[in-house]
Amino acid sequence: MVVVSQPLCCNTIITTAKTFTSSSSSSSSSSSSSSKQPLLIPQFPSSSSSSSPSTHFLSFRTTLTRSPSPFPPPSLLFATPENQLSVGEGEEDTHTSDSALQDFYSLRRDVEIASQRVKEIRESSALQLLEQELANLEEEASSSSFWDDQAKAQQTLSTLADVKDKIKLLNEYKTQVEDAETIVMLTEEMESVDKGLYEEASSVIKELNKSLDRFELTQLLSGPYDKEGAVISITAGAGGTDAQDWADMLLRMYVRWAEKQRYKTRVVEKSPGEEAGIKSATVEVEGRYAYGYLSGEKGTHRIVRQSPFNSKGLRQTSFSGVEVMPLLPEESLNVEIPEEDLEYNFSRAGGKGGQNVNKIESAVRITHIPTGVTLRCTEERSQLANKVKALRRLKAKLLVIAEEQRASEFKQIRGDVVKAEWGQQIRNYVFHPYKLVKDVRTGQETTDITSVMDGELDLFIKSYLKHKFSMTLSTSGVN
Amino acid sequence: MKLTLTNHTFSTLLNSSLINLRRPFCSSSLSSSPSTSFKPKVPIFLRPPIYSTKLSDLKKWHNWAKNIASSIGSSFVQSDNGPDSTILCRELKWFIEDVVEDHHSVFSHMGVKDNDENERVKMRADIDELYCLWKQRIEDRKPFQYIVGCEHWKDLVLSVQEGVLIPRPETELIVELVSDVLSKNDDLKRGVWADLGTGSGALAIGIGRILGNGGKVIASDLSPVAVAVAAYNVQRYCLQDKIEIREGSWFEPLKDMEGKLAGLVSNPPYIPSNDISGLQAEVGKHEPRVALDGGIDGMNALLHLCDGADLLLKSGGFFAFETNGEKQCRELVDYMKSNRSASLCDLEILADFAGIQRFVIGFHR
Repeated sequence: MVVVSQPLCCNTIITTAKTFTSSSSSSSSSSSSSSKQPLLIPQFPSSSSSSSPSTHFLSFRTTLTRSPSPFPPPSLLFATPENQLSVGEGEEDTHTSDSALQDFYSLRRDVEIASQRVKEIRESSALQLLEQELANLEEEASSSSFWDDQAKAQQTLSTLADVKDKIKLLNEYKTQVEDAETIVMLTEEMESVDKGLYEEASSVIKELNKSLDRFELTQLLSGPYDKEGAVISITAGAGGTDAQDWADMLLRMYVRWAEKQRYKTRVVEKSPGEEAGIKSATVEVEGRYAYGYLSGEKGTHRIVRQSPFNSKGLRQTSFSGVEVMPLLPEESLNVEIPEEDLEYNFSRAGGKGGQNVNKIESAVRITHIPTGVTLRCTEERSQLANKVKALRRLKAKLLVIAEEQRASEFKQIRGDVVKAEWGQQIRNYVFHPYKLVKDVRTGQETTDITSVMDGELDLFIKSYLKHKFSMTLSTSGVN
Repeated sequence: MKLTLTNHTFSTLLNSSLINLRRPFCSSSLSSSPSTSFKPKVPIFLRPPIYSTKLSDLKKWHNWAKNIASSIGSSFVQSDNGPDSTILCRELKWFIEDVVEDHHSVFSHMGVKDNDENERVKMRADIDELYCLWKQRIEDRKPFQYIVGCEHWKDLVLSVQEGVLIPRPETELIVELVSDVLSKNDDLKRGVWADLGTGSGALAIGIGRILGNGGKVIASDLSPVAVAVAAYNVQRYCLQDKIEIREGSWFEPLKDMEGKLAGLVSNPPYIPSNDISGLQAEVGKHEPRVALDGGIDGMNALLHLCDGADLLLKSGGFFAFETNGEKQCRELVDYMKSNRSASLCDLEILADFAGIQRFVIGFHR
């Protein structure tokens, strides 16, 4: 598995833990600790690397065991409005017990939600399977013949480390949320809100949520090419101007979406329709995880609306196909495809060719004969440049299809074509007679079609990623 | 035959110091061009971006140009197998790439992103010139490559202009054929090659870049314009030490090389005279007839080149000629077999990427 999270520096984390331990144990006037916690921990949420396993609860346990008295003793009753939960060191002191109470309730709710999330994540991660896998791997690693195959041994060890980290992380989440729950229970028993404890718990929850977000994302975007940029190709389906206009709308939607993610986009090819819209377009999206997010957009997109292109304004259904490929760096395309497996077609104006013709027709179509996967490149200005680019894209495409189909060799790949036609759609965009965008794979829907066309796709993208993730789990267990 | 050299507005921008502003491959100036005083035009993409235009004006021009291109439909295709709107629109896109300095950020989003209308863009040509050039493209059917002053050929960008044949993609294959031969023969790799009727210098440069140490190309052309343009291109790719350009007809200027050449290539005029008038306007009305017209059956130059191959190639030397295709290839091979079999051997006909039998190759005994 590819570890996707930002590189976390374990040295720093350990140092942080130490700093914190010393500051909390040595400080009896420990305003320093309570002010430091939110500063220190947030920067280093639980990581998959080798931080001390106690990092996370140091913050809590130590607070509990040391005298928790930078603040007034917890003698306040909830129901005395005159009383203020005054705060040490004269910082903001308008904390009425009322608002303290409200804060507490909202904290309690947050803790409940987080607890539920942790439960779900642990379930969906199939912890037992993971532990089984860990046991298997450890057994494998301890066998006497383990180092006979160095490369395989290295790989096994790295998988082992990944699995261990993941289990540790999942257990850390549990401990953290339990810590927060303890505070909530304690507060309820004491019938008063201790500000130190309160802050303790809310910062734990805040960090836990961040960490859970990241974990989810890592899980959802763990494909080998998910980190890469993406190439989106949009092709208008049958249906003339309406479909070509629809393709143009999709192009705009994806460019908008990419801009919102602060990705760099480049429309590298665009062939206009006769009346309006486009026959096809290719956009390169550069940025981390662009492919991971967009890969689920691959498929046929269907629009239902009153056609602006016929006078009667009849209801019209059109289709456009969207292909998504990773934008792979040169060095990751070191797969060799035997020349005899490739067929090049150079479009030429016909006729006698040579000096007789001058058309800037430099398009190259390349076909991978064993799989029938075909790719066309027209955007470059010389045939050679188009050929090089087409081959690069073909390789990327084959790599992705191989990955999707879990094929170990290109030869095992089955055909993979997005058909922009009825019955193949992944998402419906209904403009008329009602407004609704609905993803047929996930059931995710919204009536705010304007925002969607303005690039608000996160809802759909995320729910598809989750859907895909749960599908892989249910079909293959944990690999 | 006369060169059709009308309308030569020599850009005042043309001076070597400006050319060198834009990452040409070479630091030396152009003043060392051979013999002629003819100064080649600078392709648009190499001119300095000294014109500032409002983005809205550029968009206006773009819409105008696009509309004209679209209005053509397939009428050129029907009249003389010329370009259709799709091709013209693609040309327009490339035109912008060459003209607008930062075309990626400005124009790749054209119509997708709402740009600030008052934004200004830097261009390598004045907006009025753009109107004028696109009009020439559509109304006069002036070839796109003459409009922008360059042609992307293999991995090269070659300067071209009126009076010089625009290199065709088919001809790229000759460089690949030579490359195959060189990979099997180190001796030829270090030898002297000739490109007769070099035009823009495409073949000479393509081959010059794959020759080994000591290898050299002599390129000849009858036309002083071609000689100047070829020299300019050679200089842009810093191959002055490897490629020598000589003005003159075919192998006339290569008398000193008799029996010495390791290789000989040529893309001579091969279109039968009667076909010229039926060619698409871009070719027939604008490209130099001297580079197209091969006489009654189109074979004049090709037959002459057989004599050249016989005379100039050393033993084991390689030759490759481009022809009008099919029948011409067969006739050329027949001619060689019946008249030059004492010197030329291993004759072979090869097809281009469109499947047309296009090239005749062989060796000197």
